[in-house]
Amino acid sequence: MRCQLLLGLAFAAAACGPAAESPRRVAAPGEYLEFEGSWNAAGSRHTIPLGENRRGSIVALKGTMLLAGPGRPGVGFHAEVIGLVDSATGFQGRSVWTDERGDQLFSELRGEGTAAKNRVTGTVLSGTGRYAGVTGSYEFSWQWVMDGEDGAVHGRAVDLKGRVRPGPAAAGPPR
Amino acid sequence: MTGQRLKRAAPFVVALGIWFFPVPAGLTAPAWHLFAVFAAAIASVLIGAFPLLTASMLAVGAIVMTGTIKPEQAYSGFANSSVLLVVIAFIVAQAVVKSGLGRRVSLFMVSRFGGSSLGLAYSLVLTDAAIAPAFPSNTARGGVLFPIVLSVAQGAGSKPEDPEGRRLGGYLMFCSMAGLAVSSALWMTATSANPIAVQIVQQAGLEIDFAKWLLASAVPSLVAILLLPLIVAKIFPPRVGKTPEAPAAARTELAGMGGMSRDEWITAVTFLLMVAGWIFGNQLQLNTTSVAFMGFGVLLFLGVITVDDITKQGDTLVTFFWLAVLFAMSAQLNELGFMGYVGERLASGLGGLSWTTMYVTLIVLYVLIHYMFVSQTSQVLALFGVFLDVGTKGGVPLPLMAFGLLFASSYFSVITPQGGSQNIIFAASGYLTQRELYTLGALITLAFLAVYLLIGSPWVYFVMR
Repeated sequence: MRCQLLLGLAFAAAACGPAAESPRRVAAPGEYLEFEGSWNAAGSRHTIPLGENRRGSIVALKGTMLLAGPGRPGVGFHAEVIGLVDSATGFQGRSVWTDERGDQLFSELRGEGTAAKNRVTGTVLSGTGRYAGVTGSYEFSWQWVMDGEDGAVHGRAVDLKGRVRPGPAAAGPPR
Repeated sequence: MTGQRLKRAAPFVVALGIWFFPVPAGLTAPAWHLFAVFAAAIASVLIGAFPLLTASMLAVGAIVMTGTIKPEQAYSGFANSSVLLVVIAFIVAQAVVKSGLGRRVSLFMVSRFGGSSLGLAYSLVLTDAAIAPAFPSNTARGGVLFPIVLSVAQGAGSKPEDPEGRRLGGYLMFCSMAGLAVSSALWMTATSANPIAVQIVQQAGLEIDFAKWLLASAVPSLVAILLLPLIVAKIFPPRVGKTPEAPAAARTELAGMGGMSRDEWITAVTFLLMVAGWIFGNQLQLNTTSVAFMGFGVLLFLGVITVDDITKQGDTLVTFFWLAVLFAMSAQLNELGFMGYVGERLASGLGGLSWTTMYVTLIVLYVLIHYMFVSQTSQVLALFGVFLDVGTKGGVPLPLMAFGLLFASSYFSVITPQGGSQNIIFAASGYLTQRELYTLGALITLAFLAVYLLIGSPWVYFVMR
């Protein structure tokens, strides 16, 4: 039993250890760096009817976003989104990504709002700390979104692809 | 003395060590700190430093006082419907015993299957497997089985406070608890987590219906069900072997009981209505916990159980406290992204393995990670899609990966006493210590893992080609 505990802690430690790093690229001035990743999110959704075949929802989601690629701004972020979905006109939202140091990246989101079409695009507006002055864009689509227990909603976003241009203050150590 | 002090100090060392370790890239400080406290709480129980109640009370106090999570998040488990269902089911079970109905059912069961403790265990496990497809909530199913198991144990003279006599009760309790895990894997409709996972599989491109699920699950699940009472008897001998005279004695005693009393009738009818409510809850849009509350209310209203009876149920309050706290902490770990982070990092670190090695590794990791979850559905929602994705991208055939994870999502629930809310009813009966529950849980999960990997995987591979 103690062995299992040690095994479990070892697994958790292994999972929380350094990621298998691809060599990080340093961007030339004005150059964009590309990244990809996935996002597991959970939160709440409140829906109201807006007439026949039309619904409006407010959503609040948060979860782990893990990024890959030499141009990623960080290994991963705790990503939070709030937004309004109208099944007729689509989705509009705002997002904040927070890393392990508490530095943040802010973005606004737009996208389609139906089960069949759910591509979402984000525009990186600015950031704090090492992300100060960062700009860029990204996009993803929901692989699935479903209701869980006690009114919670869960989803997994895949094909997350984006690019960022580091700001002048983002000259941190390679990660 | 020194050893005991060291043991009690160890969880604090674990908590502080993790807490002050640099926050891993990709996590936030609250998620990391919550993990430090949660890991220390579970570790303290595993090494026998504290009871679960002590560990969970210290943990919830620490995470709120340090501002790691908000009070309303830390206490949310006290209003969780699954937690409440466990508590009510536990109290209603006492009504079945008090009314005398439990004794009648127990004598009936002993008269039919009481030739040995093994016979009793098989009758309980097979009964559960037979009724499981009609119950979309395995917690509710636990609420149905528990009074029967309790009555059988008590009828056989097995009491939790008797160090030797409790073993038969403990054996039957654990067999029933683990039986719930396998019967949930046997039928697609036997737990609410299964249809959710099936929807995720559907998004990945594989349609699974009731018949296809049963075809894939039948062989490994039936093998697991048949092996379960035998394996538990080896690890935790009930010390009651063959009792060939018991069935005849039970028949005589049953005849001596005469007709059913008023309280027995009320309890039986209320219980049957509750069962109907649980079975048809989805169609009638009835909340499972509300059905339990109504049944509880009726039993109180008609005087089958009284407020005095409830005040004597101190164990129920203890269970409510630790379960609610652990439930909320595990949910918050998930919400703060820790579970997804660990799952995704572990799964994505398997690149380059052959698909068979990747398949086995993913299933083993998926099962082990359940040590951190207090709900099957939460793990399915947080990690099922991630593991399925990584496995199929790594070359594991989709049906094999899907069914491997689908079955694991049920049988892993027995790995800890809090691994599924249905476990709690049995775990809180007092027949087994926390350490016994963790040890038995680990060993039986290992046995299930072996059965589903060694027998289930070739079978699924063969029938789903």
